[in-house]
Amino acid sequence: MEAQAAARTPIMKPFVTEARSAVVPADSATKLQVRNLNFYYGSFLALKSISLDIPEKRVTAFIGPSGCGKSTLLRTFNRMYSLYPEQRAEGEVIMDGENLLTSKQDVSLIRAKIGMVFQKPTPFPMSIYDNIAFGVRLFERLGKRDMDERVEWALTRAALWNEAKDKLQQSGNSLSGGQQQRLCIARGIAIKPEVLLLDEPCSALDPISTGKVEELIHELKRDYTVVIVTHNMQQAARVSDYTAYMYLGELIEFDVTDTLFIKPSRKETEDYITGRFG
Amino acid sequence: MITTEHLSKQYDADLESLRSRVLEMGGLVETQIRGAIESFTDGNQELAERVIVGDHQVNGYEVSIDDACGQVIVKRQPAARDLRLIMAISKTVTDLERVGDEAEKIARMAKSIHERGRIQNERLPEIRHVSDIAVRMLRQALDAFARLDAAEAAQVVRQDAAIDAEFRAILRQLITYMMEDPRTISTALEVVWIAKAIERIGDHAKNLAEQVIYIVKGTDVRHTSMERVEQEASA
Amino acid sequence: MSAISPDNSVYVSRRRRNVVMLSVSSLALAFGLFWLIWILSTLLYEGGNALVRLSLYTQMTPPPGADGGLANAILGSLMMAAIGTLIGTPTGILAGTYLAEYGRQGWLASATRFINDVLLSAPSIVIGLFVYTIYVAQVGHFSGWAGSIALALLVIPVVVRTTDDMLKLVPNSLREAAAALGCPTWRMIMFVTYRAARTGIVTGVLLAVARISGETAPLLFTSLNNQFWSLNMNAPMANLPVVIFQFAMSPYDDWHRLAWGGAALITLAVLALNILARVLFGKNA
Repeated sequence: MEAQAAARTPIMKPFVTEARSAVVPADSATKLQVRNLNFYYGSFLALKSISLDIPEKRVTAFIGPSGCGKSTLLRTFNRMYSLYPEQRAEGEVIMDGENLLTSKQDVSLIRAKIGMVFQKPTPFPMSIYDNIAFGVRLFERLGKRDMDERVEWALTRAALWNEAKDKLQQSGNSLSGGQQQRLCIARGIAIKPEVLLLDEPCSALDPISTGKVEELIHELKRDYTVVIVTHNMQQAARVSDYTAYMYLGELIEFDVTDTLFIKPSRKETEDYITGRFG
Repeated sequence: MITTEHLSKQYDADLESLRSRVLEMGGLVETQIRGAIESFTDGNQELAERVIVGDHQVNGYEVSIDDACGQVIVKRQPAARDLRLIMAISKTVTDLERVGDEAEKIARMAKSIHERGRIQNERLPEIRHVSDIAVRMLRQALDAFARLDAAEAAQVVRQDAAIDAEFRAILRQLITYMMEDPRTISTALEVVWIAKAIERIGDHAKNLAEQVIYIVKGTDVRHTSMERVEQEASA
Repeated sequence: MSAISPDNSVYVSRRRRNVVMLSVSSLALAFGLFWLIWILSTLLYEGGNALVRLSLYTQMTPPPGADGGLANAILGSLMMAAIGTLIGTPTGILAGTYLAEYGRQGWLASATRFINDVLLSAPSIVIGLFVYTIYVAQVGHFSGWAGSIALALLVIPVVVRTTDDMLKLVPNSLREAAAALGCPTWRMIMFVTYRAARTGIVTGVLLAVARISGETAPLLFTSLNNQFWSLNMNAPMANLPVVIFQFAMSPYDDWHRLAWGGAALITLAVLALNILARVLFGKNA
């Protein structure tokens, strides 16, 4: 409650630089600093000099029409793109003083700190318990008891414990779509990341499951920095503290969510969120 | 002001019909005030009766427009300017309905004054004058709403001070009048009520104008200084 | 009046074409099934008697005119198929994994894939001759090892192909999900994609086993035959296909009977493997 109040009450005027892309929210520490980020699919420039600051322990939403680069931007944060040789990023994504894009750190370590949940639920073909233990085992050697506790903790945080506690040994695929997505969130937080990236986490879910996931996002921001990409503007308005509107690979506007949805400062944003886009 | 159209033509049509119904309601309310004032100044009983009955129609507008606002919210989840428009309309119709109530009040008062006989005080020109200002403000506010013109709306807000001053002047004169001739007290009091109602109409017109600034500029200028209103309207 | 009515001419002609195509394909189906059933029924009719006799499984291949069974050939077939599978499966799975997981785009992968496809459709006699040249001719004698190698070479392309295909069927989102947890690639393959593709890969292996259990040509040049019970992989080894080939070509009725029995046995074994594969795959599909 308090965190929410703190996030919403101050009337913040984010600082917007000349370059119009560099936007810095004012009320919270910065977790990820993006500077002059360019992204290429082969020779196609998909992100054009993006600069923005992702505030710590807040929910930041990226919205924009299909192909605007919002998912691409999200996937640079945990260097997902490096799975694909033809994709490449230039510029800076700074976390804890280090540029993640050029970091000498093993990419696995970066990804352990920056978890990700995808559009379609992706339970691994193993039991619910093992789905969660899988990620934990990558970085920690826990005894059975500790592991049990961790699994329970993660499932509880993901609001899935009550539904799953009696079938931990069943396949993750036996859960419903919404439950699978919460399992994936549980799996992501089980390894205790600092940042959680959500790539359209509700687009395959029914409204009730969506509601549960949104509720969960609200809970998560107490401990995590959450970045969510969504096609659903109302969802961005509901769950996020800050919203970035992107179009054709550019960051058009980045502001406090309430301001962006009630009084956007750029006409492009206004046209998009009021449904005049096209 | 709303230049580009929505992807959904039906959405545009819904918003447009809302706007035109607000203007219709505004037109009706303006007629009501004029009628009420005239019934008072000319002692036209029949007109007063028409105004009193006509208030039902004003109330009907308020309910149906508010209902339509609810429907747009449910169907479209409006954002940004559209959201501000809907919120402002919902508040505007409340103000317009209150103006309608004031008109009804004036008409009732006029009726009771004239039932007791011809009015015999010289304050009629002042009442006429202040009511002219009020009606002009209301019309200008509606005009600003129709054209979404923040500058014009700011002018309306500025005029509210004038109407308040007029009201205080009338009050002072009436007090003097009552002190000179206590027999006129009951009628004079009723005239005070009428003047007060007109002053209220000015307030409502000002509210309406402030909503126009909110729609256009996205800034809430209620309960702020005139300088700030000017500044936001021209921003 | 709408154009859509039962006597609409486009609709009527489409219906007519539909009927024609349906009849043609049903006929084709019947044609194929006819031969298949004929083969199976002939096999069971001719070999059925031999199949139910215990001596088929306990006695050695006899000289002409004597009574006997196929015990040494069954053993040899089982041993060589098992060793061939044991060599071919890991090799095939690893190669298939490389193709699907590591070398998706590289020239090496496409070259490998192409060569593998050639190998997949190569006549098995070529494989037999190849092993004969590089192994049998070098050591100077036929052997069970040579047979196993030839069979392994037949297993590999099948397993490579199915492993490649099955791993490619695993949605990429699963790989990304594993990577997003900070999981290294090898671990992701071992614990996530293999699991997801498990039934498909096992099915591929079973089909490969089914394929090699009936191959005659490669064994003719490699393990040849052996009249006796032999566990020595370094010596010529009896096996069902070659025995069937030899006995069926002979003028003796006893041998003919045994050949029919062996043929029926192989067919039933292959059928059983196919059914098993189908059951395994069907469970997940």
